[in-house]
Amino acid sequence: MVSLEDLKKEAKQILKENKVKYIIGYKKSTNGLMPVPAFIKEPEEVEKLVWDPTCVFNLTRYLVDEKRRKTKEKEPDERPVGLVVKGCDSRAINILLQEKFINREDVYLLGVSCENTGVLDEKKLTKKIKGEKVKKVEFDEKDNFIITTQEGKTKIPAKEILANRCLECKANFPVIYDVLLGEKAKRSIDNPFESIEKIESLSTEERWTFWKKQLDKCIRCYACRSVCPMCYCDECVADTISFAVTADTTAEEKAQKIKWVEKSPVSSENFIYHMVRAIHLAGRCIDCGECERACPLDIPLRFLNRKLEKEAKELFGFEAGFDPDQPSLISCFKDEDPEDFIR
Amino acid sequence: MQKVLTKKSLPQWVKKLLSYTIYTPVEEDDHWNFVATDNPEDINLDYPLTTLSPKKIIFPQREIFLEFCDSTEGNPEVKEVLPAEKSAVIFGVRPCDAKALTFTDKVFGGDFKDIYYWKRRNQTTLVGISCNTPPYTNCFCVSVNGSPYSKEGLDILLTDLGDKYFVETYTKKGEKLLNLAKGLFKSPTAKDKKDLEKIRIDSKKKIKRQIKNIKKIPPKLKEMFDSPFWDEESMSCLRCGICTYLCPTCHCFDINDEITSSSPIKGKRIRTWDTCQFPDFTMHSSGHNPRPDKASRLRQRILHKFLYFVDRYQNYQCTGCGRCISLCPVGIDLLEVLDKVRDYGS
Amino acid sequence: MDPNTYIPKLAKITHIKEEVGGARPIKTFRTQFFENNNFSFKCGQCAMLSVFGKGESMISISSTPLIKDYLQFSILKMGRVTSSLHEKQVEDIIGIRGPYGNGFPVEKWKRKNLIFIGGGIGLAPIWSVLNTALGKREDYGDLTLIYGARTSKDLVFKEELEELRKKMTVHLSVDVEEPDWKEFVGFVPQNVLDKKPSPKNAIAVTCGPPIMIKFVIKALEDLGFKDEQIYTTVENKMKCGVGKCGKCNIGIHYVCQDGPVYSWAELKKLPQEY
Repeated sequence: MVSLEDLKKEAKQILKENKVKYIIGYKKSTNGLMPVPAFIKEPEEVEKLVWDPTCVFNLTRYLVDEKRRKTKEKEPDERPVGLVVKGCDSRAINILLQEKFINREDVYLLGVSCENTGVLDEKKLTKKIKGEKVKKVEFDEKDNFIITTQEGKTKIPAKEILANRCLECKANFPVIYDVLLGEKAKRSIDNPFESIEKIESLSTEERWTFWKKQLDKCIRCYACRSVCPMCYCDECVADTISFAVTADTTAEEKAQKIKWVEKSPVSSENFIYHMVRAIHLAGRCIDCGECERACPLDIPLRFLNRKLEKEAKELFGFEAGFDPDQPSLISCFKDEDPEDFIR
Repeated sequence: MQKVLTKKSLPQWVKKLLSYTIYTPVEEDDHWNFVATDNPEDINLDYPLTTLSPKKIIFPQREIFLEFCDSTEGNPEVKEVLPAEKSAVIFGVRPCDAKALTFTDKVFGGDFKDIYYWKRRNQTTLVGISCNTPPYTNCFCVSVNGSPYSKEGLDILLTDLGDKYFVETYTKKGEKLLNLAKGLFKSPTAKDKKDLEKIRIDSKKKIKRQIKNIKKIPPKLKEMFDSPFWDEESMSCLRCGICTYLCPTCHCFDINDEITSSSPIKGKRIRTWDTCQFPDFTMHSSGHNPRPDKASRLRQRILHKFLYFVDRYQNYQCTGCGRCISLCPVGIDLLEVLDKVRDYGS
Repeated sequence: MDPNTYIPKLAKITHIKEEVGGARPIKTFRTQFFENNNFSFKCGQCAMLSVFGKGESMISISSTPLIKDYLQFSILKMGRVTSSLHEKQVEDIIGIRGPYGNGFPVEKWKRKNLIFIGGGIGLAPIWSVLNTALGKREDYGDLTLIYGARTSKDLVFKEELEELRKKMTVHLSVDVEEPDWKEFVGFVPQNVLDKKPSPKNAIAVTCGPPIMIKFVIKALEDLGFKDEQIYTTVENKMKCGVGKCGKCNIGIHYVCQDGPVYSWAELKKLPQEY
């Protein structure tokens, strides 16, 4: 069982010892159930920290900001950033390490286990408890969440309100950490690709209809890209102008920047954007599900990522985020790799 | 004009309006959205809040300005494109979203009228629905001089009285819709009026979220331009476009040429929504960016709404719908930010 | 019905002059509309130029409003639209909409001494007001131009500048020493301090790179110029030109409408976001 007090104690300790420049964790929100990111610099502030099944955000995304900030600083603070990571978040750390986007000494990882279950889906919970104000959410270490509202305590089976990603999670405990809080207990899943298999079973026409309807909703707010720890490129294929402009960039270079994706939110452009993003995440997506959670229009983006995850597993026996020293899926070749797709 | 309409006769009224394009809130996946329908039974006025406000109908995310074709390399033909002539009725407009249109009216009006906006605005009739209970957890219209039964921007306002709607019209456009189905509307009884009054008083009380002393905020913001406050507050911002794209009052846009053929050069000049939260919004061609980081961009969003717009148009550019709060992927709370601004340094 | 503000009028390029070559080329274009459409403008105003298929770019009008038969634009090749404009030939057709912005308050400057201080392509907006003053020479006092560029090759309107010496005081400069250069060597603000224009009954107008403007203003302040005597132009990214798209917004202002011309007294009060 993860004890919040232990988490605070660890956090306080590393801040006091100046081991980290700050800690990114979770604190209570002022406007809703789900906690928000907390950036904690002083040991006294650790009291703000919270940990429970509503801590859904993947905070590793902030390492991208941190790196950008650091490159601009003349004398950067080289101390690591303390980071609270769940199982899925820790796999994101492994990818960032694997791709040498960060170094191991850049982060101090406070690993928290999801205690056999996972985090919950705010929308599913809201539907269950209709209008009641949630005061507290706890794991019961079995298959339930204990929800406390002003009406009292209710026990809700975990699978009814767990985030979709958690229903298919392969390892609901951190796989890389400096401190581990809680047990490395693994929940058994019958079929990790159950949801995607439903989509796969549809005919081509049905799938086209499904995806056209879904992607036509996209308003290109780019929340999916912004929330994703793997979307760290300085320049994205979806941007129509180049951000990597210096005084030496010639007018020709700027003029010739290809607009791969136009700004119009129409089917063709939305498809290209989401397809390119999905392909670029092949072998990199660790299924934290943040893109899908952030989407204001409920586009089921995890299906795209899960499909590629399944292909990687079935064709190459590849699973992302478990080993920082593993060569990346896209850049490695093995003799036994299937070749039957080459014609 | 004041009338009442029984709930059962709502579809009969809508049936008389089928020469218009009819929009109604519809639940899609896990959210609500305004969708065109030709089935009067689809009208649903008991809904929370749509993810996108009716702004998307009056000021669509994509607007074609012109088409061009340059088959002779140097002698282009250019054809103006205008919105189709088709009157529309939007049912179920929340008062905050209608009020937001009175702000975009100011922006798209003035010396240079935006004829795309005005064409759609003028051919659309807005039928509002009072918020007897707050439709959203983060509603705060009352704090920004609004109300759950505000008539600003609306042609008609309906208020749910249980088995009937209290119907008020404010414009000729609104009266016209009633006149198309005269027999269905009855005069309100004294009890109806009393019920309406009670519902209104209660509805205001039910709004829990608020900004205290909002008047102190603009002068405070004026002093806070160079404050480190913005660095702190923007730490968790992801620089996505949700807060602005979903805002019913945000109006910023981009104009681009999109090519459909490169030889001969053929394509369209298209307006699309844009947002001050994206880094390329202000980036010059030289690479110079007057707002280079997320701190300056969050500051722009807050100052534009609660200082610049107030100075220019004497209104907060916010109607308290709460979308930017509820849908921010990292829970940035506008009201918390404003509370901190008001109390900053004291 | 109101006119559609976003639709450009077609105009023919009648004249192209290569001002500066090399890596940062500048060309001057003259254009004529197909139909007379009352394009009347004030000096310091801008126009939105279109290359269909590439987009639009806001460019200051460098000719004086006293000339009615063409519009002139001097354009530095910088991005997508300006690169495409540089490929255009005489007789090619582009789109123009506008004019936009406030312009220089030249009516208020009558009987004053005018000092124009420009750097590089910054001479373009100055050129319009300078030629307006020259066209109505009797309305103004002394006219002085202090202008510089990186090298003598980067100076625009070279031949015109020689002609200009006959009519007004012209001080040129280059940033670094070069053979046969007889005038000032150094940055424009240094040249301002060197020539010491008098603030008495004077207005100084400065346009150029932001860093130059910053130091020119400082130099002018050192020479005793008051904030109200110093004018400059702001160039932010613009798309609509009519104060709606929000891109050029600084504080309560939309540069495309409320600018681009500001006195230092006005500009100082705005957020420094340009």
